[in-house]
Amino acid sequence: MNARALLLILPLFLCYGTRAEAGVLDKMRGWMGLGGKSRAEEAKKIMPRIQVGTFSGGTGTSAQQTLRQELLDSREFFVADAAEKADYIVDGTSSGGRVTGKLRDAKGKEIFQRSYAAPGLDENLKALTDDVIYTITGRPGLATSRIVFVSDVSGKRQIYVCDAEGGELHQVTHDKNGAVSPSLSPDSSMIAFTSYRSGFPIIRLLDLNLGWERGVTDTPGSSFGSAFSPDGTHLAAVMSFIGNPEIFVSDLNTNTAACVSDSVGAPSSPSWHPDGHQLVFSSDDGDGPKLFVVEVPKKVGDASRLFRWRTGYHFCTDPEWSPDGRHIAFTTRTSGEWTVAIKPYPNGGVHVVQAGGAEHPSWSPNGHFITYVQHGELFVHDLRSGNRRSILRGYGRITEPRWMR
Amino acid sequence: MKNRSGLTALRSCTLCLCVLLVSCSSIPMPSFLRNPAAEAVVYALGPRDGFTSPLNGSLKPACPALTFESTNFHLTSAHQEALHGLAQEMLKNKKARLLIAGYTPPNLPPDHARSLSERRALAVRQHLIELGLESANLQTVGFGNDFSPSGPSSDVVAVYRQN
Repeated sequence: MNARALLLILPLFLCYGTRAEAGVLDKMRGWMGLGGKSRAEEAKKIMPRIQVGTFSGGTGTSAQQTLRQELLDSREFFVADAAEKADYIVDGTSSGGRVTGKLRDAKGKEIFQRSYAAPGLDENLKALTDDVIYTITGRPGLATSRIVFVSDVSGKRQIYVCDAEGGELHQVTHDKNGAVSPSLSPDSSMIAFTSYRSGFPIIRLLDLNLGWERGVTDTPGSSFGSAFSPDGTHLAAVMSFIGNPEIFVSDLNTNTAACVSDSVGAPSSPSWHPDGHQLVFSSDDGDGPKLFVVEVPKKVGDASRLFRWRTGYHFCTDPEWSPDGRHIAFTTRTSGEWTVAIKPYPNGGVHVVQAGGAEHPSWSPNGHFITYVQHGELFVHDLRSGNRRSILRGYGRITEPRWMR
Repeated sequence: MKNRSGLTALRSCTLCLCVLLVSCSSIPMPSFLRNPAAEAVVYALGPRDGFTSPLNGSLKPACPALTFESTNFHLTSAHQEALHGLAQEMLKNKKARLLIAGYTPPNLPPDHARSLSERRALAVRQHLIELGLESANLQTVGFGNDFSPSGPSSDVVAVYRQN
C-alpha cells in the first residue's frame, strides 16, 4: 500500500472509530462491490449422482456394499439406487479380495477400468473410492490418506501414522530419545521429522515404502518444524546454526539450504502455499508469536518479500495453508484456551473452528476437513457441516498431527 | 460544543499522524526505540563434536537455571548478574566449554516452544560472548517442552559444563 492510499484510509478508520481487525477489509470489499461468491451461488453446486452396480465374483456382494458405504461416507456424491438415474456408474468384479473396478458415464462410455491387488478387500476398495472421487471431482479422496502425529503412549514421544478414521495405526519411529515434529511428503511415501537419537535435535527423512532413513541436517543448535514443498523436492525447516533461529529451505536433491527469513525472534512452523512460492510461518519477537508470509526466491540471488499477515489475534502459531491456497488455519488463544481458527488469505474474517483447547490444525487433502488435537485427543472436523468426531483417544498424549497433502 | 472541538482535535491529530507516517522513512529512528537485538553481532555456532547432551548423561549445571516468564527471551538484570559470575569463573579456564539448553513448560504449542527455548539459549550465549567467552566453546540446544529439566520450574535455560 502506498503512502497516498494510507493517507486516505487512515482517517476513515479513526473517524468512524473502527478497530483495524479481521473482517473490516471484507466489509470494505463488500461496499465497493468486490465481494466473493454469495452463499446462494455456493449452494447451487450440485453433487454428482453415482450408482454402484453389480460386482461379480466370490467377494463381489461384499465389495458392492462396502464401496457404496465408502462413497456415501466421502460426501462427494449423491449415491443413487439401482432404479434411479445417475451421472456415473461403477461396477466390476471381486474375488479373493482383489478388485477390478469400472467407471462409466450415464451413456455407458467407459472412463476407466483399474485392478487393485493389495492384500485386503477394504484396502482395495478404498483405493478404488479415491480414484473415482479424483476422476469425477478433481479433488483427492481421503480413503487412502494418512495422518501422521506424535504420541507419548510408549513413554517417549514417537511418531505414528493412522488413516482418516483413526484405523490402520502403526508406530514409525523407535528413536532412543524420541522423535517429534513430523511432516508427510505429498505422496505419503516419506516422513521428515526431528530426531533426538543423538541427544540433539536433527532432521531426518524416513522412506515408508523402502525403509531407508537419512539425515537432512546435522547442524549445531536445533533443527525442527520441517514441511515438504508441494512438489516434494524441498523441505522448509527452522535451523539455528547461524546464531539465530531462521527459516531455511533445503533442496533435497542437492542437500543445499537457503535462509528465507530475517528474524531477531523465534520463528516456527513453516507451511507452503500450494503454488510452492510462498511460506507462512509464526515468529515471536518477544511479545507473542504472530504470522508472517515470505516469498521463496526462485533462484539464488533473487530478492524475497517478507511481510506480517495480520489475523486480529495476538498469539498465533502452527499456520497451515489450505490445499487450494485460499485459507490459512492456525492456533490462537481465546479466553485463555487454545483455539483453532481459519482466515481467508489474504483478506477476510476469522472463523473459529473449535475453541476449548483445540490446537495444531492440519487440512485434509480435499480441504473439506481439518484434523487437530484437543487435550491429547485426535479429532477430525467437517468444515461443511461443523460436525466433528474423535478418531483417536486414550492413546497417550497426541500432539502435532499432519494430514497428507 | 465540546464534542465538536474534540472532533476537530482528533482530525488534526490524524492529519499530523498521516504526515508523520508519510515522512517516517526519512526520519532516523531515535536510539532508545531501536531494537538492540537487531543490531548485535551474531556469532554462528561452531561444530558440535565432543559436546554431550543432557539426554545422554547426567551433566553438572554451571550455574543455577535461569528462569524466564511469558514468551520473553530478553535477559533480565538477574540473568545478567548470574551470567557475569559464571563468565568470571569460566575466563580462568580458556578451554572450558558450556552447553546452553532451553526448556519451556508443557502448555505451549510444541514447535513454538522449541524455537522460543532455542532463542533464549542463544540470548544467553550471546551475553556470555559479550562477557569475553569464546564463541566456539558455547553450544546451544532448544528442547522446548519435549523434555523436562530437573528442577522446580520448566521455563528455564540451563547451562551445563562439558568435560
